[in-house]
Amino acid sequence: MGGLMQVVFDALSLGSLYALGALGIALIFGVMRLVNFAHGDVIAFCVFALLWPSVDAVAIIFAGNLPWYLLIPFALAVGAGLSVLSEVVVFRRFRRANPATMMIASFALGFVIRYFLLMLFSSRPKSISLLPELSQPVEILGARLPLLQLITILVTITVLIGLTAFLRRTRFGLEMRAAAENFTMARMLGVRANRVIMGAFALSGALAAAIALILGSQTGTANIMMGASVMLMAFIATVIGGMGSLAGAVIAGFALGAIATVMQVILPPDARAFRDAFVYGAVILVLIFRPQGLLSARGTKERV
Amino acid sequence: MKRLTAILAATTCLATAAFADDERIIVGFATAETGFMQAYDKPAQDAAMIRISEINEAGGLLGKQIEVVNADTKTDRAEGAKAGLSVIDQGADMVVVSCDYDFGAPAALAAESSGLISFFLCAESIKAGIQGVGPNSFSASVLAAVQGATMAEWSYNKKGARTYYRLLDTWTEYNKGICDGFDYMLPKLADAKLVGEDTFLNEDASIAAQITRIKSLPEEPDAIMLCTMMPGAVSAIKQIRAAGINSMILNGSGVDGSYWLSAVPDLSNFFVPVQGSIYGDDPNPEVTAFNAKYKEVTGGDPSTQYVYPGYVMIDVWAKAVERAGTTETSAVVAELEKMNGEPTLFGPRTFTSELHHQNQARYLIVETNAGKPGVVDEWTISEPIPVADLMD
Repeated sequence: MGGLMQVVFDALSLGSLYALGALGIALIFGVMRLVNFAHGDVIAFCVFALLWPSVDAVAIIFAGNLPWYLLIPFALAVGAGLSVLSEVVVFRRFRRANPATMMIASFALGFVIRYFLLMLFSSRPKSISLLPELSQPVEILGARLPLLQLITILVTITVLIGLTAFLRRTRFGLEMRAAAENFTMARMLGVRANRVIMGAFALSGALAAAIALILGSQTGTANIMMGASVMLMAFIATVIGGMGSLAGAVIAGFALGAIATVMQVILPPDARAFRDAFVYGAVILVLIFRPQGLLSARGTKERV
Repeated sequence: MKRLTAILAATTCLATAAFADDERIIVGFATAETGFMQAYDKPAQDAAMIRISEINEAGGLLGKQIEVVNADTKTDRAEGAKAGLSVIDQGADMVVVSCDYDFGAPAALAAESSGLISFFLCAESIKAGIQGVGPNSFSASVLAAVQGATMAEWSYNKKGARTYYRLLDTWTEYNKGICDGFDYMLPKLADAKLVGEDTFLNEDASIAAQITRIKSLPEEPDAIMLCTMMPGAVSAIKQIRAAGINSMILNGSGVDGSYWLSAVPDLSNFFVPVQGSIYGDDPNPEVTAFNAKYKEVTGGDPSTQYVYPGYVMIDVWAKAVERAGTTETSAVVAELEKMNGEPTLFGPRTFTSELHHQNQARYLIVETNAGKPGVVDEWTISEPIPVADLMD
């Protein structure tokens, strides 16, 4: 029982990370059909924002020393701020461009952010003790897991409930859903496009910051490449969830986390090194049977 | 035919450039001055520069001053080949290449095809040498496999470890090298047992599933052989300890340094093999003196033991040149290959016509206890790892 619960918790905590990442990508895709590949670099930026720029091996902790009730809002604000800035400075100019052009622009923006960090901090990964009180083991339902794992799951669930409430119960949320459904029609009905898009970017950036905080305290490392692998998994989750479908992205994120964890458990030792190949194999299977994704957003379907 | 003539002409040009100047000896650094590898090349290169200035102050090599020329590989393999050619063009007698085999090989191959000696700053793969470049290529560090073998034999003999768990990060050849050395040594230790094994990826956000497997063992293993490197190493160690696993953790030299210890507060029971100590407690006082000199020159303490191979490199090469009485490649290579237990500041070094790398070396063992690292022992594996075992 304890063993099974352990696997369940492992899967949920990894899935939470992917789900948060997928949500950040799906939100922006929903309102402007942009696959934001700079999302991973926003994650890395949020972690580095807690350090003072230096190329020394020892990190100089700056904002990372704030108490948690200031640290968390600070990181979320940095993520949201950078994300909104990227919309204002870059993506706004591509509003009428085709999605492929926008995607290339997002790659370029990602490189700019990454090399900016490289310039300030060098390529050497930095160590950072973020929220160290979360690194102690707790016992729950017969499973023993780091407190952080539990918090990650709880935070993700809270974010999901909060976001659902926001989208369903507030005017801004309604506008955002309308824009995701049919952007032109929504504008004609009086939805202010810039406001909605900036809101989506801010939310997406804040989600990136949440991932940054979780990754930072889990790995204890700030690395200019750290967002890349989560970004890749999150992107895959948005694709198999159905591009633009928020619920689909979340479900697919959790499913990917579960598959990766279960593969690690059941594969024989020699095959474990190829775990990701099995995970991507499962992704291909899903796409063969449901090319439109698990839940496809209504706005993205071709209309006859 | 025309092209062949052009190539021949070019090589002759290079050759004359290399031998034209008899008044000075030139060391060419085709290393990363920018990009990802810079953080790894620069410290070892600084140490090499310290040894060069020591030699120059003492009257030079063969009565000539050593001069240095540089070219930036920009952490790019194509640029690496160009950087190699550039320092050869500038008359290098010996070419120093990037720390890592993959990034250093293009420049080393350029040196090899111009008939020059190349030295990898600190590569720990057997390919960094005869096997991957050619008969004139060397590495200044010690094979990764020796690190894994050292930790297995030492922990068995000195810590009484009997049950081992092997956790491999499949990201790099270096990581696999450590575990290969461990695999080579373990069967030689009577009643030592491998109770489980697993793999992960350096970039894995979470290794919770791997940790669950360790925890589901009937008994906590005496030691976990962790074959990984930065940055994933910190993450793995942090997660292992956060899950309440207190087994001794054995590693390769790649995790040496105190710069990351803040990420795992109060880490204990953690062991790393090092060629020399950066913590001011090396049994050889000259190493501590070197650390002070390094700080004087660069403005900072050495951050890991990977500074030291740069110093060893110039040291053994200069000795070989002195003995050969020339910088001519075949004579210097022959002298290097005669070195058998040649003493250096960081332990004896041996090169043979079969292996231009160390398959046995004296290592200091650094233990981290309550977040404080320090030398607790030293160990040399009982016999060199056979080259045949290193090749698979």
